Amino acid sequence: MPIPAETLTPDEAVDLLERLVSIPSLSGEEAEASACLVEWMSTHGFEARVDEAGSAVGSRGNGPNEILLLGHIDTFPGSPLVVRDGDWLAGRGTVDAKGPLCAFAAAAVAVDVPQGWKVTVAGAVEEEAATSKGARHILANAPRPTMCVIGEPSDWNRITLGYKGRLLCDVLLRAPFAHTAGQAALPAEQAVGLWENIRRRCETINTVREKAFDRLDPSLRHICSQDDGAYGIVDLSIGFRLPPDLSPDDLKQQFEEWIEPVSKETAVEVTFSGSEVVYRGDKNNALVRAFLTAIRAQGERPRFVVKTGTSDMNVVGPVWNCPIVAYGPGDSSLDHTPGERINLTDYLKAIEVLKAMLKQVFESTESLS
Amino acid sequence: MSFEAECPECAAGVEMAGDTVVGEIIQCPECGAELEVMDLNPPTLELAPEEEEDWGE
Repeated sequence: MPIPAETLTPDEAVDLLERLVSIPSLSGEEAEASACLVEWMSTHGFEARVDEAGSAVGSRGNGPNEILLLGHIDTFPGSPLVVRDGDWLAGRGTVDAKGPLCAFAAAAVAVDVPQGWKVTVAGAVEEEAATSKGARHILANAPRPTMCVIGEPSDWNRITLGYKGRLLCDVLLRAPFAHTAGQAALPAEQAVGLWENIRRRCETINTVREKAFDRLDPSLRHICSQDDGAYGIVDLSIGFRLPPDLSPDDLKQQFEEWIEPVSKETAVEVTFSGSEVVYRGDKNNALVRAFLTAIRAQGERPRFVVKTGTSDMNVVGPVWNCPIVAYGPGDSSLDHTPGERINLTDYLKAIEVLKAMLKQVFESTESLS
Repeated sequence: MSFEAECPECAAGVEMAGDTVVGEIIQCPECGAELEVMDLNPPTLELAPEEEEDWGE
């Protein structure tokens, strides 16, 4: 049976966002926020529940075709005050990514879902923790959707087509101290030299690569040195953003060659984590076409973007291999900052874009093939 | 049945297959520009949105 649309006013859509942002939800501590979103969805015609991973998941319609709107409900640490100031709402998660998630829920309520279709909204847990626990649980337990939209901020008129890959490396260097008046490199100096070597290797690889999406970008996330008797121990945490032609496994292999110890007495241990392959979705499909039309209907020229970060698209995209983009209101340069805030007019425009996109997808017979 | 429209970048004639749909992105065979099908009646092409790059999630 078709599921009729419910009326949702702009004030109600903004209230949902303000309510969800007011509930802190660091990675691993999302229970209260998930319960809140499930309760909201349940009272607005969704079949909703908190799944086994702790994510909030709600559906309208019965399928078998399904469009999955996969946002995340956890936030980066830090708590900018939740403040409503005219057309702006400030607070942790307003942009990354409760704004996109609430826009998904508000849009999914306000469209007729025809026979044969289902729209599912998911607020996944632990996207920010580099475990993507919620998305991985859905990947392992839910059927492959017909289409998927990842909830991440990209401005209401931009469609995100892809994300770079990632590899995190913890390097533990242990080396004997030498007299500071001598020639031998101290443990901390060796560690700095090791980092400089990694940086130079990446620069060499990037020599003829102009686009940020195509470059191998290293970052020294943390460095910490300590004394252990006659030895010094230095812990380096290094992150890499990977281009399309370099998989995490390829980089792991190369990395082992980049960290040759400077002397026999120096020991280097490496632990890898946070491995994600790059993913770039196709832009010639019914989902992208529906977004292009929907953004134009709001009087704006649509834009495409690829991003140097990662998202749950890196997790589900390579496995599902269905039409997939990321979309959501908000300025992603405010992600993780103390000044995180969202423009509410843009938030409401994104809801209109999502509603129009859903209507076109449901009407599009080609998307059923 | 196929359609033809003018490339807005180089003015070459761009042929489109009969099953082309509005919103489809095609490439101009002359200049290589990516073009978006804006209309089929009459066949109209515009430059497709360029791919920007951005940091973040």
